[in-house]
Amino acid sequence: MKIFSKRAALLVSLVATGIFSAPLSANSLRDPDKIAQVAKSVMSVTPPRAWNSLSLRPGKNTEIWTLDGEQLNNVTFFGGIASGAPLFKERNKKREPLPKMRSDTLLVEIPELLEGTIRAYNNISIFSVINSTPAKFLGRDGIRFNYEFTDNDQLPRLGEAVGTIVDEKLYLISFEAPRFYYFERGIEDYRGLVSSASLK
Amino acid sequence: MIKLYVLPFLLAGSAVLHAEPSVTVPPYLGVYHPKGLDEIGLWQEYDEDERQLRDSSVIIRDEKLTAYLKEVLCRTVGPERCGSVRIYVLKESVFNASMAPNGTMRVFTGLLLRCRNEAELAAVLGHEFAHFEQRHSLNEFKKRRTTGDLLSWAAVFAATASAYQSNSSYQDLRFSVYGDLYRYNRDQEREADRLGIAYLNRSDLPPQAASAIWVNQMAEVTFSSQAKGFSKPQFNQIAYTASHPPHLERAATMAALALPEGSTRDDGHARYKEVIGPRMAELLQDQIKAGDFGASEYVITSLAQDGWTADLWHARGDLFRLRGNPRDHVNAVDFYREAVQLDPMRGESHRGLGLSLMKTGQREDAYVAFKRFLELNPNSKDASVIKMLLPTLVEVKQ
Repeated sequence: MKIFSKRAALLVSLVATGIFSAPLSANSLRDPDKIAQVAKSVMSVTPPRAWNSLSLRPGKNTEIWTLDGEQLNNVTFFGGIASGAPLFKERNKKREPLPKMRSDTLLVEIPELLEGTIRAYNNISIFSVINSTPAKFLGRDGIRFNYEFTDNDQLPRLGEAVGTIVDEKLYLISFEAPRFYYFERGIEDYRGLVSSASLK
Repeated sequence: MIKLYVLPFLLAGSAVLHAEPSVTVPPYLGVYHPKGLDEIGLWQEYDEDERQLRDSSVIIRDEKLTAYLKEVLCRTVGPERCGSVRIYVLKESVFNASMAPNGTMRVFTGLLLRCRNEAELAAVLGHEFAHFEQRHSLNEFKKRRTTGDLLSWAAVFAATASAYQSNSSYQDLRFSVYGDLYRYNRDQEREADRLGIAYLNRSDLPPQAASAIWVNQMAEVTFSSQAKGFSKPQFNQIAYTASHPPHLERAATMAALALPEGSTRDDGHARYKEVIGPRMAELLQDQIKAGDFGASEYVITSLAQDGWTADLWHARGDLFRLRGNPRDHVNAVDFYREAVQLDPMRGESHRGLGLSLMKTGQREDAYVAFKRFLELNPNSKDASVIKMLLPTLVEVKQ
């Protein structure tokens, strides 16, 4: 009897947590052809189609957009990561530090910065950068790169990212999706977002 | 830090003080078969986990490597015991190995990176096999099963309420693939230590390796904690030391139980390096990119006790360059220079050297290093981006 009541209390508290936390995790729709500020920064995009913006932010100047759910297509905006700051919020600054953006970080080092962040943040060892090339982004010289990794759900994913550094701050938009079907299906929608991106 | 240097003396001292009776390997009772509904259910779960593990992309499918690990285990515990084991190598940079009650043994690549010879590998595999032979995880399960259903409900709610980034919705799958981390109690650890040493005493490998790897692991955690700014070692932060608490007493006991005459046996250093060597660069990259600066620096310098290689210098250069403090680049330049001296054809080291030289203002030398990198690796994945840097350096040169 005692065990049962403990169990009931646990279930009630879990259900209650679920209900009351729901409004906090409200996501929102980004309408097509309307300028949207992203990642609490001066970066904005004009989405050619509707996207969902998640209220969950992995870092201070980040924002996630998705079409079908973040596990199936995940666009992450990094809006002006300043020198000394990590790309994502560190779960524990002391125990689990993440790589930091530096004032002397070069464009060619951006893939390593993102790689180190994803490896350490997700605790994974399967990650490799496939290629990187110079590319224009936000009207400036930037870098585009592709990568592949396997997250904790064991699903092989592909990623593409475009980034540049403006006034010693990192601006980057990445797209990650499962290798089978979803990457191919979503990549053009992501590239549409990238080509519409600008700084205020 | 001073404490670490006195460890070997402490061990030597305690070996004399706590001379233990010799240990023996009990007769093998054969493969355990589950009894009763609960255990049969548990076995089915482990079998299902093994299926998921087998198909997982974290498995390194290298038959030669797996066969070698099996051979080392068989030499350690004996041919009749090791027949019941299936070994899986997981690409995961942390130091860990575990064994499920159905005979699935998981070996993480982080363990392979850290072992310096066959004997150290045998010590860890033997220790895990001892937990299996003594059915420790099964006993833990029996003890915990009354709370099992309550935890299952919590897991269901956590999974539905959590978001992707929190990773908790994958915990079930993660356990299937990476294995359940049983926290053994002190008596169980003592039993496994004693049986592990008994296997080694009986084998053709030096049993002293058991306390050596233990001391090395304690030192690594101490370095890692210091680099993070902790005043005390954080043993619970590393999977293996969290589930197998390292105590000086345990290292001392293992040193005392090891057959003294076994110390002259061949520790299989050369064979081990021959098998693991080709994977070394990859294992080092996985380690340094995992973000634990202190642990990585310790692992690299510890491996270098057998002699510095181009792989080790290069990894150390990357480690410092990726941390990226101004003083780190000065060090990185030195480390990459050592790497290219040992292996002038290693393009990646010229790339790293060029980047660190640029950061320290030595742009002319950086130009030369990048040129060499592009000559050696014209089709490298970021050759076109490195090429983009060259004109800026030439301007400075003129």
